[in-house]
Amino acid sequence: MLDATDKKILKEVAELEGIPKGAYNIRKNGKLLGREVSANINIATNEKGDGIVIDIKPGTRNESVHIPVILSQAGLHDTVYNTFIIGEDADVTIIAGCGIHCGGKESEGHSGIHEFQIKKGARVRYVEKHVAIGEGTGRRILNPTTKVFMEADAYAEMELTQLGGVDEARRVNEAVLGAGAALLMTERVMTEKDQMAESKNDIVLAGTDSKANVISRSVLKNNSVQDFYVNLTAKAKCYGHIECDAIIMDNGRNQTVPALRALHPDAEMTHEASIGKIANDQLMKLMSLGLDYDAAVNRIIQGFLR
Amino acid sequence: MLELQNVKFDVPDADAGGENPPRKTIVNDVSFTFKTGGFYAITGPNGSGKTSLAKLIMGINPLTSGKIVLNGKDISHLPIHERSNSGIVYGFQHPARFKGTTFRDLLSIAAGTDDEDRLARIIARVGVCSLDFLDKPVDSKLSGGEIKKIELATVIARNPKVAIYDEPDTGIDLWTIGPMVDLLKREQKENNTTTIVVSHNRAFLEAAETLLLIRNGKIAYAGELEGAMPMLEDLSVCTFSNTCEGENDVRCYR
Repeated sequence: MLDATDKKILKEVAELEGIPKGAYNIRKNGKLLGREVSANINIATNEKGDGIVIDIKPGTRNESVHIPVILSQAGLHDTVYNTFIIGEDADVTIIAGCGIHCGGKESEGHSGIHEFQIKKGARVRYVEKHVAIGEGTGRRILNPTTKVFMEADAYAEMELTQLGGVDEARRVNEAVLGAGAALLMTERVMTEKDQMAESKNDIVLAGTDSKANVISRSVLKNNSVQDFYVNLTAKAKCYGHIECDAIIMDNGRNQTVPALRALHPDAEMTHEASIGKIANDQLMKLMSLGLDYDAAVNRIIQGFLR
Repeated sequence: MLELQNVKFDVPDADAGGENPPRKTIVNDVSFTFKTGGFYAITGPNGSGKTSLAKLIMGINPLTSGKIVLNGKDISHLPIHERSNSGIVYGFQHPARFKGTTFRDLLSIAAGTDDEDRLARIIARVGVCSLDFLDKPVDSKLSGGEIKKIELATVIARNPKVAIYDEPDTGIDLWTIGPMVDLLKREQKENNTTTIVVSHNRAFLEAAETLLLIRNGKIAYAGELEGAMPMLEDLSVCTFSNTCEGENDVRCYR
């Protein structure tokens, strides 16, 4: 049921060696390839038939769910609407991701529209990887949208990664945080050749003592372009921080626009942003430990995007 | 044996301005031989050229003229990593801070292995940093002392033939300086490491067999500490007595 390319993609996007254990839903070229539910995690096709609903029972602990998407059909532009409901006090890991294999001249694309409802006291770690491989010349396009609604004391850690191969990416992330909720969002993007990536983030700290930390790490090789926007809005006594760093390797171009809006007098918000080449003192240090220039650059980038 | 032969380093004089500013000499015709397995301290006033000289040896600063010879091989034009692979390692005065790169990464690069047991053995040998440091990112969150301890460990992990430590005690707590001196002496004795410490700290000056006093880019004195004492004391005499505002105002013009 899985061919060699599928297996390669699954390994890249979800670190899977084959069919995963526990709950999963594998989508290939717009169709369901396989699904498994568990006692605590139900996966069902939504009413419209254009996505899935993943329902995690309250109190579910130490379980994970894999929902990778494989795209290898030339000319296909697949859009899915997935909803995740994470029950009260659950503590789960969700591994998502999309891998495109492009073998021809026609473009291929996937738009995953994800909505998270994280209930009171629930904790979720969401890992999403985007990769594109293949010898084809068609454009590989990934436009994910992630909307997160966090109830009181919910906790979410979101790791969003795209390391090369994707020609066009337009990402939208939105989150609204209730009282005591905490969100740690880390985005890592590496673009090369003439690729472009755009990320628009809108985080609203709505509840008292909510916390958000938005981290963006960008590496731009060749002539690629990346734009990163984040609006952090505080509507209550809360804490918010944005940290965005971009390393330009060749002729890349980058815009980084962090914005803080305090609509409450007890909001505490900070941001730091930097755009530049690899720092000389970092290169000197690694070279003084015996690495040549190229190896030193690689190690610094590897660490930066980890 | 590490030989400096008429080593010179100059830079454009930024203060002079203009399109073709005159050159300013930082290291001026220095010749000296560091004997294999010797312990040397380099001291001198701020801005005298100590760090520039150390960076010339590592290849971080390019030589303007002169020659650097390591065990008979001219290394004057070798890039930094090749000098490192020839056995020279430099511990920076202000170590680089990274994003994402951890102490484990640096130590693995330095030691050429990521084997957990071997890394733990290096940390035990260095003694001044704990094992829990390993997965700490070497970033701006580290204190000045922590990052200097990490820097020291990465130098020692290379098993250098020539180890240059640039002000290794900056930010280090007083009670760690003694063990740090002992460590460098132990490395010198056990591995016959040529040890060069740039420092103002008496503990390092006393530990050294030979002291180099650098002034205005030249070696003003080379020999035992005792012989340098009159000059060092002279350097500590304040020459700003006319502008000094005494105890009531602690601003110092030195």
